[in-house]
Order: sequence, then C-alpha cells, then structure tokens
Amino acid sequence: MAGGGELGGGGGRPKRGKHSKRKPKKRLGFRIDMTPLVDITFLLLTFFMFVTTLTTPQVMDMAVPPETEDVEVAESKLFTVRVREDGKIFYNQAKDIPQPIILKELRTKAIKSNLDMKNELITVLKIDENVAYETVVNILDELNLAEIKITQALQAEKLNRERKFTISPMTDKDKEEIKGL
Amino acid sequence: MPKVKMKRTGFVIDMTPLVDITFLLLTFFMFTAKFKSEADNEQKFQIKRPKTQADTAKLPEKDVAVIRIAIDSTRPSDTAYYFSVANPELWMTIKDDPSLAEWLTPDRKEASKAMIKTVKIEELETLISVSRTQSKAFNITKKTAAEKAQLRFAIDADKRIRFKWIADAMEAMRRTRQTQFNFVTDKQQ
Repeated sequence: MAGGGELGGGGGRPKRGKHSKRKPKKRLGFRIDMTPLVDITFLLLTFFMFVTTLTTPQVMDMAVPPETEDVEVAESKLFTVRVREDGKIFYNQAKDIPQPIILKELRTKAIKSNLDMKNELITVLKIDENVAYETVVNILDELNLAEIKITQALQAEKLNRERKFTISPMTDKDKEEIKGL
Repeated sequence: MPKVKMKRTGFVIDMTPLVDITFLLLTFFMFTAKFKSEADNEQKFQIKRPKTQADTAKLPEKDVAVIRIAIDSTRPSDTAYYFSVANPELWMTIKDDPSLAEWLTPDRKEASKAMIKTVKIEELETLISVSRTQSKAFNITKKTAAEKAQLRFAIDADKRIRFKWIADAMEAMRRTRQTQFNFVTDKQQ
C-alpha cells in the first residue's frame, strides 16, 4: 500500500544524450495512503465545528442626556411612548390622550409622526420599572427600524436626519395618565 | 492442476479533493474558533440576550467595559451587577486603583479575577469613572494613534430582568457623564 514510491533515475548519472540507446524508464508515480490523515483531519474539523460559535453578540447604541439643568421643550413636539407595568404600550403626541398601541404598529406610527414633523419631533420613552428588559429592547428595536425609513424619506427631501430621542424615568403623573386605559 | 488464485483488485479512490476541502474547512474553523475567556470562565450565570432585527455593530473584543446583569441561578429573585473590562492589563490597573480600595477588600479582589460583582449602585459608579480615567491614562502611554482607543461601555443584561436594574445602571452612567453606551443584544436569525 504505502510504498515509498519509485524515485525515477539516479542522481549522479550523466545525462542521457539525444541518441541514447537506453529505453526511457517509465516514471512510476507513488501513492501515499491518506486515510489516517483524513481521519485526523475530520476529527479536528468536527471538533472545531462544534466548539466554534458563529453568532457574535451585537450592540445597540444608546445615549442618556448629560446631567445638566433641564432643557425646556415645547410639548407639541413631544412624542411620548409609555410602557405600563403589564407591558402594554401607549403613545401620545403633544397633549393628546394616550392611546394603546401594539408593538407591531409602533414602527409605522413612529415613521408617520416623525415625517409629519420632519426633524422637530422628540421621542420620549418612559418605561415602568417592572417591565421586562426584553420589552424595552423590542421597542428600541422597532424605533431603530423606523429610523432607517425616516432617514431614507428625509434624504429624498434633501434633509439630514437629526434624531432626538431620550429615555426618561416614569413619574407617578405618567402612571396616573395611563392607569385606566 | 493447482487452482488459479484470483488476485483481488481493491479499488482506489482519489482522496485529494476531499482532503483539500477538509483542510480548507479545518483552517477556517480553527481561525474563527474563539475559546472561553477568563471572564466567561468565572461567570456562574448565563445571559439570555434579547433579540433585535435592526442592523447594529458587533460587540468589540477589546476596549470595552461590560456591565452584566443576569438572573442568579442560585437565587432566582436576586441579581447583581458584574463589571468587567476586556483588556487584561487595563483591568489590573483598574482593580488596583486607590479609589476602589475603600470597598474592594483584598478577599473580594481575590474573588474577582475577571469581573467585580456589586449590588451597590455607588460602587458601579466608581467603577465606571475609574475605568474611564485609567483608560485615558493608558492611552497617554501608547504611541501610535491606532493603539489609542476610547473605552466603550456596554450593558449586557438578561431579557427577563426587570427594567429597574437597567435604569439604575443607566443612571449611574449619566451621573458619571458617560452618556454614550451600548446595549448588548443577539441578532435575530
């Protein structure tokens, strides 16, 4: 099986001339048994395939306002999203009465409100302390997805998107506003 | 007349292409494989990250300070903040910082090789500000611009955690004037 192979021709012999009477020696290719090599390679391959994790964690950008004195903003420019203890989402613009909204509709609503107001709208997210973190990330994800569409739409109008977004603590007044809804 | 012994002819398959591909795959997986870091080793909990769809960046492998908030496997109702920094040499200087000496007692320091466990929000605040100043001091020693990197902060929390824990961590960031940070998530497949 694993013969060393035939190494054709000796090293030190003088080169054969054009008119050599000697029959040209047939070159013999040599064969190496690759089975053990393949065995080990497959073993290593499967090991690394099982060990490796291809999904690396992602990061989502987040910002908090610096600790300075409060900035006065017009209430008409506020788009407030409140999340109640039970995970229900409510939105309202300016002084409107909070409306319940499901997560899937939040994106279209955010796109529409933002495009109506161009770059003026400020999104405020108020979350109850007992809401699961997953709900918060889902909402942020929806708003991030909306942001892509908003930026595209504004770019078509030759406008640069300036995102105005903040997470602010939920006060008792906020809780009161969405209590019975 | 003796029986003519038939010579069995085994067949040979050319394995070269197979070996080629296998080696290719092997090298690929060898290079992409990432083994458990020291921080992961010390980690006694598992974090189920929330899933997101939006295109986001990957979590950097260095120059990042991670605040982990997980559900404790031994006491499910309880949790803590686990603070760690990805760069080992920076992590050593942070741990030895004199402003932490007050509460980071030697035995507690010994227990936290790769991450510091804390429940107190004030301790977390000190950790954030110390990491920032130490990272800046570290940058001065570096010569090239490529080596200088700003320390980023990330919150890696379990999706089942109450938002209060995250809100408190965010408040700590705000108070230490670290207004930019990241949430660690998993990409939805």
